[in-house]
Amino acid sequence: MAAATKIRAYILENYLFTDDETALDDDESLIERGIIDSTGIMEVIFFLEQEFGVRVDDEDMVPENLDSVRRIAAFVERKRAIA
Amino acid sequence: MQAERRISYAELWRACMAVAQRLRQQGLQPGERVALLLRASPEYVAAYYGALAAGAVAVPLNADAKPPAIGGLLRHCEARFLISGSGLEEPARAAIGSAACRLLPAAGFGMWTASDAGGELSDLPVEPAMPATILYTSGTTGAPKGVLLSHGNLVSNVLAVVAYLRLTPSDRILHVLPFHYSYGNSVLHTHLAAGATVIIEPGFAYPHRILECMAAEGATGFSGVPATYALLLSRTRLDRYPLASLRYLTQAGGAMAAADILRVREQLPQAAFFVMYGQTEACSRLTYLPPERLLDKLGSVGRPIADTELRVVDAAGQPLAPNRIGHVCVRGPGVMLGYWNDPGATRQVLRDGWLWTGDLGRLDEEGFLYLHGRASELIKTGAHRVSPAEIEDVLLRLDGVAEAAAAGVPDPLLGQTIKVWLVPQPDAQLGVREVLAHCRRHLPLYKVPKQVVFTAALPRTASGKIRRLALIEPEGQQTGG
Repeated sequence: MAAATKIRAYILENYLFTDDETALDDDESLIERGIIDSTGIMEVIFFLEQEFGVRVDDEDMVPENLDSVRRIAAFVERKRAIA
Repeated sequence: MQAERRISYAELWRACMAVAQRLRQQGLQPGERVALLLRASPEYVAAYYGALAAGAVAVPLNADAKPPAIGGLLRHCEARFLISGSGLEEPARAAIGSAACRLLPAAGFGMWTASDAGGELSDLPVEPAMPATILYTSGTTGAPKGVLLSHGNLVSNVLAVVAYLRLTPSDRILHVLPFHYSYGNSVLHTHLAAGATVIIEPGFAYPHRILECMAAEGATGFSGVPATYALLLSRTRLDRYPLASLRYLTQAGGAMAAADILRVREQLPQAAFFVMYGQTEACSRLTYLPPERLLDKLGSVGRPIADTELRVVDAAGQPLAPNRIGHVCVRGPGVMLGYWNDPGATRQVLRDGWLWTGDLGRLDEEGFLYLHGRASELIKTGAHRVSPAEIEDVLLRLDGVAEAAAAGVPDPLLGQTIKVWLVPQPDAQLGVREVLAHCRRHLPLYKVPKQVVFTAALPRTASGKIRRLALIEPEGQQTGG
């Protein structure tokens, strides 16, 4: 399964409580849409570390890497590429 | 200031005056309520102080609340106007519905200029006893409680805090707390009163960004609740950031773990750490622990602020000897006028000039207060206070739910998180996901439960009231407290 698919499924299941794929667009801002909050971001990071074995550093914790499914997936791919 | 936008006190003053003039032009009478649905931003600041300058009672509301909840508060405080911020016009309109309240959209700071509004603001004699603001808090019953504070209440509390934090115009605070809560409201008032710089950073999703911003702006101060500090400490070392200017840190909004306090001190030795305690009903601040006593009084919330008396009493109101646990009561110039339009609730907490805080605690021989839990079942999660009854009301609206109970269970990061117990109707096909999706539709994110449990029956008192504390007792034992 591609990273984006797994990430979308995780967010749908844990924050939107649905498997309706249309409930979340890959480019939607997770914070602005009120889908996750500050503790949610921490949970997402924990998920990424567990699921993809990537290490998320302080500097990585920025909206450019984490604020949408597409950004998270691209971030995970970049991390895996340099790992 | 906010992000890349810097606003001087002169600009802010003009914006406040323009808001005041606009409100007066629209027919606002002194003492009428002006509700605010704005995110933490310069426009919020202009709207809040503009409303005060016009003689109104400012009522800040939670911009994340759902329109029906906002509408309930607009009707409760009989708001004459609702000022909505950027992007919030639609929920504001939905919230007003049929209420007799006029919407004033404020699309950006400085949209209302003085020339726009026209006319001079005639001097308004503001008396200390005049109502200034209503701050809504959660009660255990779910009914809104509007804490009515006077100008005198606010001024006395602000002066006490400015004095002990020694705030000056050279201070620069990074403000991440919600403005509509008493703590965030107090941080705003105190720093503006001192002529300091307020750096507005709404939301707290990215701790690294917060720390970078503090470093870049040369912040001298920072205020948080225990969860704010726990989040900052969870992924990073604070001493990795160049924060040499940081002079003070404040913490309120519930007990912070001693281990976290010590870690903050160890990683930021340059900053004095102020543990504080207070209540919306007393403008926010009641006690503080002088930083030089932090280590020998670890676990205490300190002594009363200037002009405030505090005592610990038994159920009959008789003061207790040192170290005896009882009800925390306070008296002083910061204590509210009362709950808006609710004399019954006011009489319950204001008795013979004393405010009964609902907190349990003890005073040591030197008069330092130690808190020992609350007499109420209110859920404290992060910076939020949540009424269990509100969650239960929402759950009972879901088909298939016969009975529902909500309570706060211990959480290392947030203090408490919300757990719910449900008794399904016979033959109902209820799933956890369906329950959570329903909550998400009807509640803001921070009120959505983290745990859902199905059970055959709820513990109740003889009179049928849910015994919420009995639900969480076994968990308290498991976690040792």
